[in-house]
Amino acid sequence: MSSLEAIRLKIEALEELPAVPAIVLPLAAMLQQPTEQVDLGKVVELVSYDTTIAAQCLRMANSPLFGRQNTETVRSAVLALGLKRVGAILMGCCLNRIVPPDQWVLDPVTFWRHSLGCALVSNKMAKLIGYPDPEKAYLAGLLHDLGILVNTIACPEEYRRCLQTARDQRAPLDRSEEKLLGFTHCQSGRILAERWKFSADLVAVIEFHHAPGSVPGATPLVPLVHLSDLLCRLRNLGHGNYEAVGVDLSGDCAWATLVEHYPALARMDLARLTMDIDGAMDEITAMVDAVFKPVPSASA
Amino acid sequence: METGTAKAVTKPQAEDLKDPAYLKIRDVIYQISGIYQPEEKLYLLASRCARRMSVVKAKAPAEYLEHLTMRGNRDAELRLLLNEITIGETYMFRSPPQLEALRNVVLPQILEAKKAMGFKRLHLWSAGCSTGEEPYTLAMFLLEESEKLLAGWTCDILATDLNDDSLAAAKAGIYGEYALRSTTGLLRQKYFKPHDEKRLQVNDQLKSIVRFDRVNLNDDSRVTFLKGLDLIFCCNVLIYFDLNSKRKVVQHFYNNLLPGGYLFLGQAESLYQVDDRFRLVHFPGVIGYWKPPLGYRGGGKS
Repeated sequence: MSSLEAIRLKIEALEELPAVPAIVLPLAAMLQQPTEQVDLGKVVELVSYDTTIAAQCLRMANSPLFGRQNTETVRSAVLALGLKRVGAILMGCCLNRIVPPDQWVLDPVTFWRHSLGCALVSNKMAKLIGYPDPEKAYLAGLLHDLGILVNTIACPEEYRRCLQTARDQRAPLDRSEEKLLGFTHCQSGRILAERWKFSADLVAVIEFHHAPGSVPGATPLVPLVHLSDLLCRLRNLGHGNYEAVGVDLSGDCAWATLVEHYPALARMDLARLTMDIDGAMDEITAMVDAVFKPVPSASA
Repeated sequence: METGTAKAVTKPQAEDLKDPAYLKIRDVIYQISGIYQPEEKLYLLASRCARRMSVVKAKAPAEYLEHLTMRGNRDAELRLLLNEITIGETYMFRSPPQLEALRNVVLPQILEAKKAMGFKRLHLWSAGCSTGEEPYTLAMFLLEESEKLLAGWTCDILATDLNDDSLAAAKAGIYGEYALRSTTGLLRQKYFKPHDEKRLQVNDQLKSIVRFDRVNLNDDSRVTFLKGLDLIFCCNVLIYFDLNSKRKVVQHFYNNLLPGGYLFLGQAESLYQVDDRFRLVHFPGVIGYWKPPLGYRGGGKS
């Protein structure tokens, strides 16, 4: 059994892997800054650093989901999407690289479809309830399952069994991780997030998105992403396994926490939000296919 | 009956969809009927509106919006548009996620609670069963589970509709390829017999667990007495009721259900602002409305 300590050692070795793009750390630092302090030229430079990543960013900027079309230069894509959104997209593209194409033990398209779905839902919910930083909610949704990537790299064979067990038992993934690995993607994700100096509330999302009741301090970001994650998993935007659960979202403790912060949530039309997700599903799938489908070789 | 795409729809030009009047029409429909069209599916709504617009000779969506909101015949026009939106014959096994939720979550939960009280009977109601596709689908599902999940249980389905013609068709149980498009060969063999060259008829075993009856959901004296139900299915029926009658009918549904029972609506329907006693419960790919048992204080269920 891999212990969490062994995972920590593997993560420390991870940074020497050529697959991890050098821009991850400057990017993570940029995403923590207030928007007005971010340098547009610097972002364009980061995006242009790697032609494959730049192409992925352009494809995303041109997706109907973002309401943009015919963006041809990195600069106009950055302007069209906004600095923070581009940063988040860029982060997703970089993270996609930390798992080499032949080492995925789960379908990368399914994984990114869930992450992106969760990012979009978190962003939408943030706007609906009046959370002050919807772009941070987007980023938190995109990165909440970072630990799944960590587990995939650090212990691929055990993790393959974990995923299979979750599928066979139609159970949530973190339960089979707990049983078979002794730790969950929440814990392993936290190690990498801290090492990459993610802000405290992002680290909290990664660590506590399955247990929003246990988070110390009161950041509304954790319950927000927890609910978005649940909603996505129950709208065919999950990890590809059927989870035999019925969830009363408004009876969830995360809901009560969020309502305390944002009374508007109590009046939110959850059925309509759900139908919006259903309506956007084809777009999300098409975009993830276009952006994250593994390509045999990176070509400029 | 479910929102369908049986008729060929012509996709309007992309520019038309940008007309904000479509969003307003969408919201009017949602407010009145509870039927919701997400933004990505607005082209479907636009094509349905296009047919009505040509009949009433409205030149632009904004003009048609007036027909739906301001003109004297707005109620009638809205009903005609709803007919367009929900048109299309339905078919068996239309919502696999719903049956999966029944098999994996809902029934195990209900069976456990009932068994604890010493009951081994299950009562389902298909309210607004149209030509019978829904209740027969449920009947096949229950029979298929009768050796597994439902071993030792007795089940019955009450299927009601207001329309005599629909009920007669439902009782006859004769279906063509369209209605059977998602029914596997095995199930066709088990539960149908040949009727004519192109159609099959439900067999006696399937008929035996479905009871058809004419019920007007607005008729309090009838609806009040349907008690002790575990599951109610009511797809694209409430959309034709105004808010007050809708509230009344849903209140009846609540009282008809046993604590712990579920109400399922059509795929695009919601009870938002109609009722706040039912809990909205998410299952993979489908939502249901749950009547919580006494003393439920939230906390989620799985």
